[in-house]
Amino acid sequence: MIGQTIVDNLGLFVQGYLTTILLSVGALLAALVIGSLMASMRVWGGPLLSGIAGFYVEFFRNTPLLIQLFFFAVVLAPRNLGITADPVIVALIGLSVYTGAFATEAIRSGVLAVDPGQIEAARSLGLGQVATIRLIVLPQALRTVIPPLGNVASALIRNSSVAYAIGAREFLFMGLLVTSRTFSLEPYLGILFGYWSLTIPLAIVLGRLERRLGFAR
Amino acid sequence: MTGLAARSRRARGIAGLLGGYLGLAIVLAVILVLIVAGVLPPRRWAPFGDVRVWLFLLEGLWVTVQIGAVALVASLILAVPLALGRIALPRPVRWVVIGWIELVRATPVLALILGITLFMPRDWLAPMWAATLALTIYTSAVLAEILRAGILSIPKGEVDAARSLGLTYAMTMRLVVLPQAFSRMMPALVSQMITLVKDTSLASIAAVSELAGYARSTHSFFGNPAETYFLVACVYFVINYTLSRIARRLELQRAKEPPVVVPVGLDDVAVPRV
Repeated sequence: MIGQTIVDNLGLFVQGYLTTILLSVGALLAALVIGSLMASMRVWGGPLLSGIAGFYVEFFRNTPLLIQLFFFAVVLAPRNLGITADPVIVALIGLSVYTGAFATEAIRSGVLAVDPGQIEAARSLGLGQVATIRLIVLPQALRTVIPPLGNVASALIRNSSVAYAIGAREFLFMGLLVTSRTFSLEPYLGILFGYWSLTIPLAIVLGRLERRLGFAR
Repeated sequence: MTGLAARSRRARGIAGLLGGYLGLAIVLAVILVLIVAGVLPPRRWAPFGDVRVWLFLLEGLWVTVQIGAVALVASLILAVPLALGRIALPRPVRWVVIGWIELVRATPVLALILGITLFMPRDWLAPMWAATLALTIYTSAVLAEILRAGILSIPKGEVDAARSLGLTYAMTMRLVVLPQAFSRMMPALVSQMITLVKDTSLASIAAVSELAGYARSTHSFFGNPAETYFLVACVYFVINYTLSRIARRLELQRAKEPPVVVPVGLDDVAVPRV
């Protein structure tokens, strides 16, 4: 029967699928927090904080995620820093830090896209610096920032598969386990369809959103 | 905010540079603390005092460069028909092209690499070239989209002008549209090269020995994984940071360039009726 190998190993596929979702959602939330913080440092933090955030962005964006995950797996391990040996948690940390660098750039460009005249106007109307950022800059930045952040999220879902390399039992890991057990093409196609079921709806929603936000501006 | 606006550009540039160095200093300080704390003890850094270790890693870097270069050139060649197909082919065939591009872009590169190296018979294609093929499939789909955006950004009037001067569709594409589209896609292309360089490291999971694979051999010989991966990350960083500076410079050049203007001095040319 078509799909038999997948049905037989459905438990593994579901478990992996849920782990991939957990990795993606968890790392996305953490990356948004890191990104907001680092982007604020970059834009409003003065030269020193801005330089530190800039260094973070450049270093983590320009080195392979795989190497970062290997590094974190070793450093966080019990025999070193003794924080964790669980590959899923290591992957969560690594993906958050890696994706955080991309989120920083997305958020920063959104903030910078707000017309400086708007800020000057708000300031001369007597709004404080914090009020200006909260009431004038952020609501407008949110709009420009959503499409690039969506791309970051899509890349994150696909990047979460790299956690396979440090032994995290996510979707690719489980799918390849079944593939190597049965050595048929079917479970491999299952892997592709599984990832597509996450990334393609996201791409469609983002495309629509982008068009709508584009009109609104 | 107002203070920032008042500061001179030059001072900001210098301060930013200092901040960058401070970031580097903080990273080095953290590494130093880890060294003193015994997490990364000096004896495990010692092998990197030997030039032979670096020559060994250089061999791995050479494999990385080969994979990256072949995948880049092949992707550029494949991206042209994909982009043109998505723009110009009649409907049912166009849908196939769109479907292919979108599905490939929605797939994790690692899944492609492992799938192709797993199912491709070894006597057809060595694992190294199977991984290169996977990277090519992915990168060509991304480049096709970048190229398509470049083509669509060329004013329609240029195509009309070229066609009305008697150029065929193929000539219009080859002589008028594509050269400009390629020049416009340069910053995005260089950025995609950074992604490609990073993605070559995934080939090591499919048992292809490139830089990341050589790093694994190195640290399993000396027993110093954290130190090795840190230094290898720095090697990737130097390559990719250079590329990102080039991309940035190209972007700034584009911004300075005057917008593409259609030449209007056609009075002495007989414009054929369409």
